[in-house]
Amino acid sequence: MCLRMMQINPAVPVSWAKRSILPVLSAGLFLWSATPARAAGTGQRIEKQFSITGRPVVVIHNVANGRIEVKSWKNSEVNVVGTQTSNKIGFEIEQVGDRIDVTATILEPGADSLDLQANLQLTVPEETELQLKTETGLIYVEQVMGDMKLESYAGDVHLKEVSGYIIVKTTGGSLVCTQCAGKLDFSSIGGNAQILQPQLNNVNLMTTTGNILFDGDFVRTGLYSMKSGKGLVEVRFSSTDSFDLKAQTATGIVDNQAASFLKPDSHGVKHIASKFTHGLFGTVGMGLAKVELSSYSGTIRIMKRD
Amino acid sequence: MQCKDIELVLEQEGLEPLPEQARAHLAECRDCRNYIADLTSLVDAAKKLPAEITPPDRIWISLRAQLEEEGIIRTPADITPVVQGSWWQSISAFFPNRVLATAMVGILIVAAAVFQIRSDRTVPVVSPDRTAKTGISLPVAKTAAAEQLVPQTSGEFDRTARDLSEQEPVATGMIVASRSPIDASLRDNLKKVNEFIAECERHLKEQPQDELTREYLSAAYQQKAELLSAMIERGRSIN
Repeated sequence: MCLRMMQINPAVPVSWAKRSILPVLSAGLFLWSATPARAAGTGQRIEKQFSITGRPVVVIHNVANGRIEVKSWKNSEVNVVGTQTSNKIGFEIEQVGDRIDVTATILEPGADSLDLQANLQLTVPEETELQLKTETGLIYVEQVMGDMKLESYAGDVHLKEVSGYIIVKTTGGSLVCTQCAGKLDFSSIGGNAQILQPQLNNVNLMTTTGNILFDGDFVRTGLYSMKSGKGLVEVRFSSTDSFDLKAQTATGIVDNQAASFLKPDSHGVKHIASKFTHGLFGTVGMGLAKVELSSYSGTIRIMKRD
Repeated sequence: MQCKDIELVLEQEGLEPLPEQARAHLAECRDCRNYIADLTSLVDAAKKLPAEITPPDRIWISLRAQLEEEGIIRTPADITPVVQGSWWQSISAFFPNRVLATAMVGILIVAAAVFQIRSDRTVPVVSPDRTAKTGISLPVAKTAAAEQLVPQTSGEFDRTARDLSEQEPVATGMIVASRSPIDASLRDNLKKVNEFIAECERHLKEQPQDELTREYLSAAYQQKAELLSAMIERGRSIN
C-alpha cells in the first residue's frame, strides 16, 4: 500500500480538518491492516504481523537483491519486516489461512542493482514450513523445525539448528549447515557445502565445481551421499562412528588419512572398484550407516576428528 | 442398417449429421439412441474442460534428459538441413520484436520436445547453425566448451546435448545486456558446467565404459538444463 503525504491548508478550521482527516486515516489504517499489503518508497520499511492457528507455511519470493532472515519465537504469529533501498521495489504480503506469501517485486526492471535491494526479516513459530526463493543475498534460517525448500541463484544459504526435510538449490551460492537435523538435499553448480555438527540421517550433496565438507557424526542407519565433480570432498568422522564407506573418483585421488580406523567390509560383501575408477571401501565400527563419496576429478579426503 | 453399422458411421463421419438410413435405424433402436446420447454428453463434457496448462520449459528438458538416460527414447540420426535465407526473411519480417522472437524459439523447442516424447520417435531438429543463421537467437555467447559440445557427444547424450546447445544462445541472449551480478553469476556458472561437460565428454570418448563419469555427465546436463531454464525465466522478468 502506498502512503502519501497529505497536504492540509492551515486556514481550514481544526474541527473541519479533524472531521475530514480522521475518517480518511481510519479507512487507511483499515486498508493497511487488510491483506495483501504492498509497500513502496525510498528507504521504506514495512512490518506486518499475522496470527496463525496451526503450523504455518511461509512462502517468500524475493526477485530483488537482498537478505532473507528467518528466526523463530514461541508466539503463534508470523512477523514480517521488509526494508528496501528505493521505490523501485514493491512488497506484496498476503495471508491465506496459515499460509503467508511474501513477494518482493521489481517495479522498474531497468533500475540500477543498488536500487533493487530488499531485505526481509521474518519471525515465525518454531514449527514452520518454509519455501524461500531469492536471486542473490544471503538466506539465513535459525531454529526452525519444518520442511523447507530454499533456492538461490547467487546467494549463500546459512542454516543453524534447523530440522526437517531440507532442500537447498543454488547456482553459485554456498551452503553452511550448522547443527542441522533430518534430511538434507543440496545441489549446486559452483557452490560449496559445509555440514557442521549435524544430526542428519539422510544426506544428498551434489556440486559440480564446489567443495564439500562434512564434519560430524554419522547417525546409525543413516544414508549419506556426497558428490563433487571437480571439488574436494572431505569427511571428518569420530572414532565412535559406525559406517560403511565407499569412495570413488574417476580421475581424482582418494586421500585416506584414517587408514587405521577403516577395516575391510565386515558384512561379507567384497567390493571391487571399477577398473576405470580409483576406489576405497571399508568399514568403521559396525558399519551401521552408509556413506558414499565420489568425485569426478577432485580429491576425496577421509579423516578422523581429534 | 444394423447396430454395428451405426458404430461404423460414427467412426467415419462423427456425430452429425447422420445419414438418413442411420436416423431410420435410430428411430427403431433404443440401444443405439442411448449410445448416441452417451457420446453426445461425452463430447459436451469434453468441450467444457479447461484449456491445457503449458508446463515450464525445464519440465520437458528434464523429462527428456531422464528418458534418454534410461534409454526409453532414442537419439536422432539426422539433422535437418539448414533453412534457406528466403524462409528466414519472411519469418524475421513477421517477428520484428526481439522478445517475441525469443519466446517463439522457446515455444518451438518445447513443442519439438513434446512431440518427440509423445511419438517416441525423433523429429528433425533445428541445427545450431540454423539458429545462428536465422538470427532468431540473440547475440551468441557460447563458450569454447559449448561449441565443442556437439561433435564430442556420442550415443545416449547426443540429443540432449544438441537441444541444450540450441537453447543456450537463446538463454544467454536474454540476459546478455544485463550487467547485474546475478546474471554475471549465471553466465559464470554456465561456463563452469560447459567446461565440466566437455571434460566428461573427452574422458568418455577415451573410456566409454566409465559409469561414474557417465553419471557425472548426466547430472551436468541436468544442471545445465535447469540453469538455462533459470536464465530464460530471469530474462523474461528483466526484459
